[in-house]
Amino acid sequence: MTKRRWILLFTVTLIVTGIACNGKHSTAPTVVVYVSEDQVFAEPILKDFEKETGIEVRAVYDTEEAKSTGVMNRLLAEKDNPQADVYWANEPMRAAVLQQRGIAAPYISPNAAEIPATFKDASGYWTGFSARARILLVNKSVKDGPHSVLAYTEPRWKNKGVVANPLFGTTTAEMAALFTIWGDDRGKAFLQETKKNGVRISTSNGESADFVASGESEFGLVDSDDAFNRIQQGRPVEAVYPDQQEGGIGVLIVPNAVVAIQRGPHATQAHKLVDFLLSRETERKLAYANCAQIPLHPGVDTPPHVPHIEKLKIMSVNYAEVAAKMQQIQPFLKEWVGY
Amino acid sequence: MKLIEFQSVSKSYNGRLAVEDFSLSVEPGERIVILGPSGCGKTTVLRLLAGFITPDTGSISIGNELVARDGQNLRQPEERDLGMVFQDLALWPHLSVKGNLEFGLRARKLSASDRKQRIHEILRLVEMTEYLKARPTELSGGQQQRVALARALVLQPKALLMDEPLSNLDEELNRRLRKEILRLHQALGFTLLFVTHDREESAELGTRVVFMRSGRIERIESQPSPTAVVGPN
Amino acid sequence: MSRRLVLTLAVSVVVVAGLVPVLVMVGQSLAAEFHTGFAYYRGLLASGRAWTLAGHSLALSSITTLLTVGIGTPLGILLGKSDLPLRRSLLLLFAIPMAIPPYVLAVSWFNILGRGGTLAHWLGPALASHSSDWLFGLGGCVLVLATTFLPIVVLITVAQLSSIGPSYEEAARLTSGWTSTLWHVTLPLIAPGISLAAVVVFLLSLGEFGVPIFLRFDVFPVESFAQFSAFYNFGAATAAALPLGLVTFLLLFLEALFLRSRSYALRRGPDAQTMVIALKSRRTLLLVVLGIIALVLVVLPLGVLIVRSSTAGAFHEAIARGGASLVRSMAYAAAGATGLLLIGFLCGYLIQTRALPLWRKLDFLTVFLFTLPGPVIAIGLISLWNRSVTSFVYATPAIIILGYLAQYTALSSRMCASALEHVPPSMEEAAQVAGVHWGRRLVGIVVPLVRKGLVAAWIVGYVFCLRDTGMTMLVYPPGHDTLPVRTFTLMANGTPELIAALCILMVAAALLPLVILATTLRPTARMA
Repeated sequence: MTKRRWILLFTVTLIVTGIACNGKHSTAPTVVVYVSEDQVFAEPILKDFEKETGIEVRAVYDTEEAKSTGVMNRLLAEKDNPQADVYWANEPMRAAVLQQRGIAAPYISPNAAEIPATFKDASGYWTGFSARARILLVNKSVKDGPHSVLAYTEPRWKNKGVVANPLFGTTTAEMAALFTIWGDDRGKAFLQETKKNGVRISTSNGESADFVASGESEFGLVDSDDAFNRIQQGRPVEAVYPDQQEGGIGVLIVPNAVVAIQRGPHATQAHKLVDFLLSRETERKLAYANCAQIPLHPGVDTPPHVPHIEKLKIMSVNYAEVAAKMQQIQPFLKEWVGY
Repeated sequence: MKLIEFQSVSKSYNGRLAVEDFSLSVEPGERIVILGPSGCGKTTVLRLLAGFITPDTGSISIGNELVARDGQNLRQPEERDLGMVFQDLALWPHLSVKGNLEFGLRARKLSASDRKQRIHEILRLVEMTEYLKARPTELSGGQQQRVALARALVLQPKALLMDEPLSNLDEELNRRLRKEILRLHQALGFTLLFVTHDREESAELGTRVVFMRSGRIERIESQPSPTAVVGPN
Repeated sequence: MSRRLVLTLAVSVVVVAGLVPVLVMVGQSLAAEFHTGFAYYRGLLASGRAWTLAGHSLALSSITTLLTVGIGTPLGILLGKSDLPLRRSLLLLFAIPMAIPPYVLAVSWFNILGRGGTLAHWLGPALASHSSDWLFGLGGCVLVLATTFLPIVVLITVAQLSSIGPSYEEAARLTSGWTSTLWHVTLPLIAPGISLAAVVVFLLSLGEFGVPIFLRFDVFPVESFAQFSAFYNFGAATAAALPLGLVTFLLLFLEALFLRSRSYALRRGPDAQTMVIALKSRRTLLLVVLGIIALVLVVLPLGVLIVRSSTAGAFHEAIARGGASLVRSMAYAAAGATGLLLIGFLCGYLIQTRALPLWRKLDFLTVFLFTLPGPVIAIGLISLWNRSVTSFVYATPAIIILGYLAQYTALSSRMCASALEHVPPSMEEAAQVAGVHWGRRLVGIVVPLVRKGLVAAWIVGYVFCLRDTGMTMLVYPPGHDTLPVRTFTLMANGTPELIAALCILMVAAALLPLVILATTLRPTARMA
């Protein structure tokens, strides 16, 4: 190459780098949000926020595949010099951890008024919205299917059930929730009996759903979005909300949670974004999206496969307690899985 | 007046003495040949003088200025104002003949016209004028030698160091180039330090011959020379 | 500026970018562990889980290393030294997996072997359930990592072969056939290079976490990240990563101790022609065998992605969702590659000329950083740079570039050092006696003489910066994500078509500089 070409190449590199590095630094007001909800669903909502308010959103996304290590660890590592204004968690336990670590700031949004108290922190350190439910997915070939998580321990369902590895994700949360409701002894007994009853352990909720859809297992506890997804694909499965009977413990609801960050750089915009996420409109959009999340405001318009929260019997848990329990039972769960 | 002075210089590599207690004075315009078998330390002497390596003990001066002493390099090679022809010639393959000659001149901040004039003069002396734009790889072995010589001499150095530059050439070419070196010396009057293992070369080129063995000077012999001329340098 | 000053500066960049963050982090972790009486280690050892993890980690790294070396060395010999038809194309084909993040291959194999995959579609769910069980575990991890790291062994073999002076082999060929020559002369000559490749592959598979997490295989790095995610405990997470660091340190130390001293001076003249193995009648057979390997390891997984992505809207959506990230990725990678080239060249020069006494330590440090898991470096960078006074670094893409420098300097410095090895010292010395100062000697003589090597180093730097996920994911400034990171995050519930299209875009971006190079260098190729 001639010298002139080298210089040209170098200049082009510099210019492109310059554009890429500075192109986004406009003077418009901005808000920085860290997101653990799947980017596929979160990004359109944030784009709408930009359009509606003119506030530029700069986001850091995360994924369940990486066990949400990215965003949570950043928030913790950045504690002394916060970069984020808002954290959009895909479950409230993480939010509770942030509260314990002094990273969350209290903010009670006017839009949160109608959200049931179970799904928010009283002092406003976190507020839940659009939720997944932990449901039983049952293969349609099964007659008179199970209606309770206790089916895992019943002789009738021996070698028929599947559950995702309880060391990860919402399955950990579900076990911890059961422990908080039943107490440790009953919780442990439940898991041990489940094991004796020949439960199959899958790698993820998605795989559990596939086991049920293919008939290899007859039922399994999965997230409602996994269930709706399989139903939409026309697989022979139906979603059952467990423990709805009189005196039953109810279905575990796992809402998204939004947290304002302590000493975040753009407090005013942060509150606007929190308000936006907690609006009925956002809940409606997330209900109609592929994630089919259940709105927590009463009476929000939903597609037919998404239930109304007020019609469900809900497992009454304290999510901060669940978060603490998740850590506490980890050694037991590891042992249970066979590590 | 002494141009170059080694005072009991020693240098060892990995505990092995390469040069030991080496002392030598060189007058301006002299042609010194350092002669010895391979591994006797003669190349080390040149590299010490050029400044690529530093003596462990002893001192080296060039033109009354101390350039190295007792493990300290007081003048870097680029500050010593020497010319050198390497054993492998080290012609820069990515530059033309002109580029090879000009590179050092640019560093001395000569004007473009001065550079042009100097390059023209030296190429005329080595009879390579028509190869100004050629690349080193396009030249024959003898032509490459001349360019290497020209590149060293165009800077008008205080002394010219040559490290067995003729060893890879056939006998005929070797003889012709020896004549060439003598002719150039007569024309320009530079001081020459020439390293070789070849007795014939040393007999023809040296006004004094330094015999080296195992890192030490065995003896120094002066020889009558028909071409010894003190030049204008 | 003096040579000493500039080289010291280059070394400081590596130390500040890479060593200091890691030390800060390890220091904090050890302090925390000391506080709790090393509770994490005691718990780990008591549960016996440490041994399971160590067993998994060792099995994964050893099998991957054995496979890559066992297949890669003969592959390198065939592609670099024989008259096999299409060998250049095959070489390029085998190199592609190194240009993409390993998780892309994992996703692709999941598309083939998973329960809802291509295999299930063709051969029925019963077989697919077995293949899926196999994929989610040691087998799948080995498959993906071996494919990803195979090019390292192949390319190092090819490079080593081309640096052997032909006379060694010519002397052997006078008395024996190629098999014996290869076995007794060629292989021993390139053994140190292959050993280094083996060590690097071993360490990279040991530190890899993305693929084992995706395929649910528990190894030490996964445990480290489980600590992050389940307990949000930096101390314990670093503690979990520490055994890895120690193993890395130890292996590299042994490599430096035993192998480096055994490496031979293989320098050869500029015009020497490497001997070529005439395969004769076996050409077709070997071509078929190599073709099948390439088909299974590279063409099949990439082909599945291409087929998946070739729906009407997939690329449109991929550009809409990831276009900005793609441009950013390429710009950061170009800037990173340029920075790496600058620092790597100076470090390579330092290592090659041994200009400062610490050259050996520098080489060791860069290779050590290269084999550390990306998130470890990232957490270190955050704990060091996230302060309000340094937000001009932390809150801008500069932090990503810094991370690249921390992680990948070994690549460019080693490549530059080996390019410089072919330049006789007299080239620079001739300029030095001519009174030319160091800076001008570098620019005027040394750089032009190694420019091909520098272009190669730039491209390798670009490719590695472009594919980086583990480090970038944790440090990118809000709104400045790169394509691999975005693809990774979109993978959760993104449509397979979209993910496949994003992966194809990534491959195209990685191959772009090669294409540009091929078109611009052709007219002047003869000059070099």
